[in-house]
Amino acid sequence: MDELLSLKTAFLEEIDPVTTLAELQQIKNKYSGRKGLLTARLKALSSVPPDQRPLYGKTLNEIKDFIEETLGHKELLLKGREKEKRLLTEKIDITLPGRYTRFGRKHPINQVLSEIKDIFVSMGFGIEDGPEIELDYYNFEALNIPKDHPARDMQDTFYISDDVVLRTHTSPVQVRVMEKRKPPLKIIVPGKVYRCDADVSHTPMFHQVEGLMIDSDISFGDLKGVIELFFHSFFGKGTPVRFRPSYFPFTEPSAEVDIGCIFCAGKGCRICKTTGWLEVLGCGMVHPRVFEMAGYDPEEHSGFAFGMGVERLTMLKYSIDDIRLFYENDLRFLEQF
Amino acid sequence: MRVPIEWLKDFVDVSASPEEVADRLTMAGLEIEGMEPFDNDVVLEVNVTPNRPDCLSILGIAREVAAAFGLPLKMPETEISGNPPVSDIRVEILNPELCNRYTGRTITGVSVGDSPEWIKKRLEKCGIRALNNNVVDITNYVLLELGHPLHAFDADRLQGGMIQVRKAGPDRTITTLDGLERELPEDALLIWDERNPVAVAGVMGGEDSSVTHETADIFLESAYFEPASVRRTSKELGLRSESSYRFERGTDIEFLVNALNRATLLMRETGGGTIHEIVDVYPERYVPAKVSVRYSRVNTLLGTALKKEEMLRILGRIGLRTEDREELFDVYPPAYRRDIHQAIDVIEEVARLHNFGNIPVRIPRTALSDGILNRRDISVNTIRDAMRKAGLTEVINYSFMNPADLDLLGLPEDDVRRRRVSVRNPLKQEDSLMRTTLIPSLINNFVYNLSRGMRDIRLFELARVFIDTGAHLPTEEMRLSGIFFRQDIPSIWKDAVPAFFMAKGALKSLFEETRVTELSYIPAEEVFLHGGKSADIMTGDKRLGFVGELGPGIVETLNLKLQKPEIVVFELNADMLMSLIPARMTYTQIPRYPSIERDIAVIMDDGIPSARVMADIRGYRYDFIAKVELFDHYKGKNIPEGKKSLAFRITYRCNDRTLTDSEVETVHQHLVEHVLLKTGGELRT
Ligand SMILES: [Zn+2]
Repeated sequence: MDELLSLKTAFLEEIDPVTTLAELQQIKNKYSGRKGLLTARLKALSSVPPDQRPLYGKTLNEIKDFIEETLGHKELLLKGREKEKRLLTEKIDITLPGRYTRFGRKHPINQVLSEIKDIFVSMGFGIEDGPEIELDYYNFEALNIPKDHPARDMQDTFYISDDVVLRTHTSPVQVRVMEKRKPPLKIIVPGKVYRCDADVSHTPMFHQVEGLMIDSDISFGDLKGVIELFFHSFFGKGTPVRFRPSYFPFTEPSAEVDIGCIFCAGKGCRICKTTGWLEVLGCGMVHPRVFEMAGYDPEEHSGFAFGMGVERLTMLKYSIDDIRLFYENDLRFLEQF
Repeated sequence: MRVPIEWLKDFVDVSASPEEVADRLTMAGLEIEGMEPFDNDVVLEVNVTPNRPDCLSILGIAREVAAAFGLPLKMPETEISGNPPVSDIRVEILNPELCNRYTGRTITGVSVGDSPEWIKKRLEKCGIRALNNNVVDITNYVLLELGHPLHAFDADRLQGGMIQVRKAGPDRTITTLDGLERELPEDALLIWDERNPVAVAGVMGGEDSSVTHETADIFLESAYFEPASVRRTSKELGLRSESSYRFERGTDIEFLVNALNRATLLMRETGGGTIHEIVDVYPERYVPAKVSVRYSRVNTLLGTALKKEEMLRILGRIGLRTEDREELFDVYPPAYRRDIHQAIDVIEEVARLHNFGNIPVRIPRTALSDGILNRRDISVNTIRDAMRKAGLTEVINYSFMNPADLDLLGLPEDDVRRRRVSVRNPLKQEDSLMRTTLIPSLINNFVYNLSRGMRDIRLFELARVFIDTGAHLPTEEMRLSGIFFRQDIPSIWKDAVPAFFMAKGALKSLFEETRVTELSYIPAEEVFLHGGKSADIMTGDKRLGFVGELGPGIVETLNLKLQKPEIVVFELNADMLMSLIPARMTYTQIPRYPSIERDIAVIMDDGIPSARVMADIRGYRYDFIAKVELFDHYKGKNIPEGKKSLAFRITYRCNDRTLTDSEVETVHQHLVEHVLLKTGGELRT
């Protein structure tokens, strides 16, 4: 019995300093291998006197279980340590930059245009398109702006010939659509427009989105509803929106729409010229004359139209103070969006 | 229009602060664009829309202030009492269709000199310089105050003691007040004495008959000229004045005598003299238009529930006479509100004075539209996104082109891109053509960014070009164009790709994203591209566009100070591209049997295009070939001069069973022989 206990003690002394799996294998062979000390003891069990045999056998089995369990634990431990060591040698500098494909950027004007389109499409508006080089008829006459009308001064026009112009607004598309289709109509027309003007706040080409809604019972109240909804989506709920009378030859009543200044929360600042308001859109009820020109009966139909400058909205959205930046196409500007 | 508050108070007793007045006017449609302190006063800068010429005066603004605050309007004193002597100047109107009323009067013995301080001060506040000439100052003063332009002649310079109103006719010139001799359009309406023109009606007076310090007798004119005629003349002469500005928008034909009298009284007050009897030629008296409006129409159009009485009361506030007729009401607009001539004009006034803010907000109840996002919008979005993900940043350029650009590209005379549209009145010569190609704009963008230190310049633009086809309107087509340049960019993970293949790769992602297939690349013949490094992109026998490196000639012209820069451009017909996008995409079954891969590397003549070898492999008769990929292209060490090595990986698969190794081996050996035969090459080992 004592001999068995000293075997256990000797095993413990031997296994304690082991640090490698190879050393461990040696001890494993020495004790529990086919020719190991434990195996030898088991084989010799028959030579133990019969009265001592049960106790001896029980103790031997306990020691065997203990040794095997201890060997198992040690093996797991050593395997774990070796793995750790290997991983350490494979270590990389995880702070090095990743290899990536740099995406390009969408021009800020087109980003805002997309946003505007999405809002109106979600309200059920369709998108229409028309020529940028347009007949004077569609750009002016059909919109109740005859030749010699002072309102032509409001828009400095580029001429191609006497009766062909670079469209000064996207409204001519509305007329073209009205000529082709019958109400109800709910459309927006995004696109490039041209005016011969260039300074900090004007470029000879810019983008507009015009909208048109015509049905049998559309009122100024509906116009207010749609425009308010749009600005609440675009600038955030709770943005104050106000309508004040203005003049456009193709709408009546006409209105300019202001939103509460987003820079000073309406308190008054340099950008809103201390008024607390920013002019953002022109709109009104479609003029009966425009309906007549398009072949609609103004007694049967009513509707509204609106138009906004995309550059203006983009400048407000990103606090851009010079419109010319949009067309310089400086990558240091474009890559910010 | 500048409006001093102190002057305004002559006509309306408003006690509200200037800010409050400004706010009320703005909300009534007369936007206050600025407020300027001036001595102890405040001057309002009012933006008057073209439909409201009645507001181009202090009195007109006062009328709106009175309506906004519910205050009475005080009219100026314009009665001339006594029995003045008869005027010795006769007036004759020969073109009554252009001048329906002409009034005037002689004032004799006036002394011309400095105006009193208060007149000078008020003129100054309104931005008009006093002229050391009380007669001219007063015509300006009354123009600002009452909105009606007047003109004063030196009566002694009017030959024959008569005034005629008639058109210029051929070959007529006049020297205007500003000292310039002007040729007059035949249709221009003029004021004549017995022999010569003495003024361009409503635009500017003549120098000869102007009032100077030597003038003793004056003839003061107050007339009504047709807006369109004044506008045409002033435009043709390139001559704008405070007078023409008002005449072309419309003046008050009834009130012009008050203006004449107001000025007469002020002249006597400041310069003495004897007032003569008025001459008034008025061929056809003004009859107020009658405008009938249905009450219900007002409310349905505005979305309001205004009562009859409310509407009539609102309109009364701005001096509109109304008559109730059950379902309807009639409105008789005064002569200063000629902008009101149909029902909608009256409805607008109701809305304006009721205040837009008081109209309740409603969400329209209307049918859905059938348009929504159409296929074209979706395609455009896909194209933009694909380019962006391929690393290109979007630019937007003006649609203009420099005539020199066509020569920079060296386009031949018969090139379609020479069929350009010109702008008649460009801002500058460089912007005088409409673009027929986007390439010059992109080159400009590249040069701009390069000169600012950028070395990774990858840009694209999606925009229209304009081709003159001889039709009334030019053809507008969408182009998708881009430019590629990357040089000297230090990078930790090396991947040097020639610019041409960067661009071609970007296009590959575009075509994959849009599902456009069956495209081929053939050598391009663009004069501005490098002959050996450019390709036309074909769909069948139609040319979708081109991609290629800018040729040495054009690069030299750009003077870039770079060593052999590789600048690659492309331009596609975006309309054609969109037409190639399949409307519908269908699912193909995932392969059920495994595939086996084999590689083949062949050394062949350098001149053989890889696409041809690829086609040879693809076209080989065994339908076991599921996929062919070119994975290596090598020239240099171990490869003879004039040769190259191409390596392909071929994936074999059968759709209805598992291929065996030996089966694939046999097929592959046949294929290798086929390729060697076709290319005349040898295996690379
Ligand atoms: Zn502000």
